[in-house]
Amino acid sequence: MLPVEWSGEEWTGLDGAPGIVYDLGCNIYSPDGRVFQIEYAAKAVENSGALIGLKCKDGVIIGAEKLMPSRLLMESSGRRVHPVGMHAGIAFTGYAADGRPVVNAARQEVENYHDYYGVDMPPHTLAERLGHYFHAYTTYGGYRPFGLTTMVTSFDEVTQEPFLHMIDPSGTQFRFHGAAAGKSKQAAKTEIEKLNLKALTCAEALKRISLIIHTIREEEKDKPFVLEAGWITADTDWKFQLVPKNLRDEAFEWGKAEFDKMDDDDDDDED
Amino acid sequence: MYQTEYAKKAVESGGLTTVAVRGSDSVCLVTQRKVEDKLVDAASMTRMFKVTPKIGCVVTGLIADGRSLVAQARQEAFNFEYQNGYAIPCSYLARRVADIAQVNTQHAGRRVMAVDMIFCSIDDEAGAQLYHVDPAGHYHGYRATAAGSKFQEAVSLLEKKDTDSMDLETTIQTAIMTLQTTVSADFKPEEIEVAIVQSGSGFSLLEDAEVEEHLTAIAERD
Repeated sequence: MLPVEWSGEEWTGLDGAPGIVYDLGCNIYSPDGRVFQIEYAAKAVENSGALIGLKCKDGVIIGAEKLMPSRLLMESSGRRVHPVGMHAGIAFTGYAADGRPVVNAARQEVENYHDYYGVDMPPHTLAERLGHYFHAYTTYGGYRPFGLTTMVTSFDEVTQEPFLHMIDPSGTQFRFHGAAAGKSKQAAKTEIEKLNLKALTCAEALKRISLIIHTIREEEKDKPFVLEAGWITADTDWKFQLVPKNLRDEAFEWGKAEFDKMDDDDDDDED
Repeated sequence: MYQTEYAKKAVESGGLTTVAVRGSDSVCLVTQRKVEDKLVDAASMTRMFKVTPKIGCVVTGLIADGRSLVAQARQEAFNFEYQNGYAIPCSYLARRVADIAQVNTQHAGRRVMAVDMIFCSIDDEAGAQLYHVDPAGHYHGYRATAAGSKFQEAVSLLEKKDTDSMDLETTIQTAIMTLQTTVSADFKPEEIEVAIVQSGSGFSLLEDAEVEEHLTAIAERD
């Protein structure tokens, strides 16, 4: 038997705790109109590594903080940033195992679109399809939502520029100039708002993302991370490219050094 | 059925209100627009959708659910035209979307979509059309309707208006004025989305400049 009782108006836990039955599935609303399963899925994202996307002067870049729980892990494994077709890329944060089917689905969609229409899938269509895909899993009691927030960047043939979209576990998607997800996303957003994105190049943005990630990390100061990134810029001939390791390493070191400097300055100020 | 009640709660707790008015030969949909995140590309945060060139709708409630229903509505509209050789009438489209909404309330394991959808069009035979579909799968044709957190207040104001003889300008301004009064705000063009459908042309969103003109006309009247 479930530890619940009927109060005459709604189900509550035995000690009067609210909501105990309303989180049993995606197909259940709580009396105040919330779907708890979607909110719990969002929690999975909140506990995961940072994901930052920026639409810059010369393209779009997405950077991910890939936490490495063990030194035995190979740096390149557990990838968070994936190409999807030639003209688009996807990155996710949250429950990593859920990422694989999403990436596969996105790749299927892009390929099918190209087979059918002969042109690359436009960014808003790709984002919309992913949104619907995520949303579908929030509508059945037998499924659970994806525990992911996904960023997708894709090049638009018509307007000749890349765009950035972000999709959350509920399937809601919007287009962004700058976006952040994962742990400390509020702090990341504050840092992003300080940037002048219209004047920033992707190369410079890569370093800025590294600095933001170093800045917003707190309790995880002990767990090392790898900076993964992908971009679509004029330099990549508007194709999605995983940022080469040497550039990422450079950006990582730069971000670390800058943050240490800022940290030292703060300590000096405190003295 | 509690789940449909709770879903309607979800629509209301979104904090946004929508007003729709059907005039003599035009229909106007107005909804609030709150873009709180500076980093979002505001143009992508729209709740107005073109289902066919002649039929538009406004979605109030959970936007992911709304987008899903819009995609299904577009599919229905296309299938109808493909099977029958003529454009789907607004009333029939509304009924199909309502049927889809109803299925969710009857199948175990399915979640009710927390959206109110308001459809509008100018029908070749029947003139201006305005239909409202709710999460439970109810649908009705209206002369004027509202949805969202302050829909009760909006509906009370709309009941007093005689909309049947309104021309385009009056229809638009009545809709905007009703929304302004209901949420007690003095709107700037960026704070609302206004869409119209009128005889001779399809469903379209008004540009900020046009919205500004109407807001000014309303202010001057007061």
